[in-house]
Amino acid sequence: MAIHHTELETPPGREPLPESERPKLETLREQLQPLKDLPGSSIEALYAAQELFSYVPPEAITLIAEELRIPESQVFGVVTFYTMFSLEPQPPYVLRVCRDLSCHLAGAPKLIGALEKELGVPRGHTSPDGRFTVEVVSCLGLCDKQPALLVNLDQHGPVMPDDVPDLLGDLRNGAG
Amino acid sequence: MELVVTRNFGRPESWTLASYREAGGYEALERVLKEMTPEDVSDLIKDSNLTGRGGAFFPTGLKWEFVRKDPKTPRYVVVNADESEPGTYVNRLSLELDPHMTIEGMIIAAYASNAERGYFYIRGEYGLSHERVKAALREAYEAGYLGQGICGRDDFNLEVEFRRGAGAYIVGEETALFNSLEGKRGNPRFKPPFPTNFGVWGLPTAINNVETLAAAPAIVMNGAEWFKDLGIGDAAGTKMYCLSGNVVNPVCVELPLGVTAREVIMDHGGGVPEGRTFKGFKPGGASSAPLTPAEIDASLEPKSMAELGTIMGTGGVVVFDDTACMVDAAYRDALFFEDESCGFCIPCREGTPNLVQICERIMHGQGTMDDLDLLEELGASMMASFCGLGHFAHQPVRGAASRFRDEFEAHIRDHYCAAGTCFTANGNGRAG
Ligand SMILES: Cc1cc2nc3c(=O)[nH]c(=O)nc-3n(C[C@H](O)[C@H](O)[C@H](O)COP(=O)(O)O)c2cc1C
Ligand code: FES
Repeated sequence: MAIHHTELETPPGREPLPESERPKLETLREQLQPLKDLPGSSIEALYAAQELFSYVPPEAITLIAEELRIPESQVFGVVTFYTMFSLEPQPPYVLRVCRDLSCHLAGAPKLIGALEKELGVPRGHTSPDGRFTVEVVSCLGLCDKQPALLVNLDQHGPVMPDDVPDLLGDLRNGAG
Repeated sequence: MELVVTRNFGRPESWTLASYREAGGYEALERVLKEMTPEDVSDLIKDSNLTGRGGAFFPTGLKWEFVRKDPKTPRYVVVNADESEPGTYVNRLSLELDPHMTIEGMIIAAYASNAERGYFYIRGEYGLSHERVKAALREAYEAGYLGQGICGRDDFNLEVEFRRGAGAYIVGEETALFNSLEGKRGNPRFKPPFPTNFGVWGLPTAINNVETLAAAPAIVMNGAEWFKDLGIGDAAGTKMYCLSGNVVNPVCVELPLGVTAREVIMDHGGGVPEGRTFKGFKPGGASSAPLTPAEIDASLEPKSMAELGTIMGTGGVVVFDDTACMVDAAYRDALFFEDESCGFCIPCREGTPNLVQICERIMHGQGTMDDLDLLEELGASMMASFCGLGHFAHQPVRGAASRFRDEFEAHIRDHYCAAGTCFTANGNGRAG
């Protein structure tokens, strides 16, 4: 019996890697070599991919699966389980703002509002200049710095709404 | 008051091996390897009544003995530095300021458990901790405290691998952490079998919290009785309590395990900001049900907290003043658990959004008194969850609804929010 194939659209965030980025796959392959001796290191492999591409492109998932000899579905499962991995290109500055109780009591909603206003986009979207995105996340373990945020992995806090223009200004000028 | 796990925090470059050694670091390990058998070590830790600081307070020496007695090899030691409980930052401070103390504790645990391999697992967001711990592990290898033939004992080897998480609270649950280490999604596994027999890669594993391990070297140097006497009453040793929320000083202090909440909040936290009224507190992170000002003289240790229907948890004390709405506070915790539920089992996956919706109804003036009964029912069904996340997720909401009943009823009956955060045009809304 004939099998009917349906043309599936590429799901969002699963676009193939642009030609210009493809040489980086060789770099990734090299970086994966030492991980072959460390069973279970798919998270480290995905960090390597994300550092190179700013996100985890589908080709990197295939490559990691091949090199580490684990099913592609497992690698994809890991990417989607952990909040710090992205299937879509990320801007250079990802601002993770804590929304949990202590930061909330210390004014996180106003901080988030100020960031959205200053960047001109709601959380989860990239700013028009392509450099920032704000994510609202669970407790960062920086509750002594409430309300706290991370710029990539750099700790900031307490950050008040009034501090937002300076914080973003420093990052825009490359001082962050 | 004698400090145990934070005693080096004020030293210059306290995170380096040189500084740690100057402060007597690794002397405990040398003593262990010269004078003690693995049995001696686990017996000493048992006698000290050191219990797990990750929140479950399981006897640490017993755990190491269980691992040692399992014949399967290789055995593992794992440092659980996934710390992600809202309101908790104690492990972060230890990792940033004194990584060697935890590493020394880890090596002592490996010796007592007869383990030869280890993982140091840190949550993905702790960038500075990654740097400090990686550097400290390198120093420990170079100094011969890790690797083959530790401190000249050719029968004791320990290879430690550094690992990072990537954003997932549930991975702090020990069996989920094993799945993460094995390169899988961080869903928890069924217990039993317990980690001591079936841990990472199915092998016997001693998994401990950072603060638990950091206490071990001092116990070796000063003895079990000394450590026991540091605690209050039956509680042994010290605990790092950390403050946040509506408190003047959001600081971390190491105090005898079992001090009163009053001492932590008022003496060290400076109470609530001037002009405000103290309204309540959570004793240990999001998983703990909140308590009222009438309970401020309760001891912050597992037994008294259990008697009050809450938990000691992580020691992350969150303080509320009159600007905090207790329905909103419950809602924030519910949002956290909804977000962090791994979705593997139905009671938790379905129960956590239900908690969120009930809180939202009440905050938006659509709640009914039946919602309060529904909360109880929901909580009972969530006890069928696969792991602790689902078992605890409803406690802060139910706890708030029973201890701060008036506030919940005022929202439902009168659409009145004393703190003034609900029913206003610029109310808090859903932040997450
Ligand atoms: C949902 C959940 C999250 C947990 N998160 C952590 C954590 O971040 N750090 C930790 O040490 N223990 C955590 N635990 C407890 C661990 O499962 C385990 O009991 C602990 O690591 C054992 O070490 P200890 O005996 O030294 O406390 C968590 C438990 C549950 C149920
Ligand atoms: S609650 Fe915001 S960092 Fe912990």
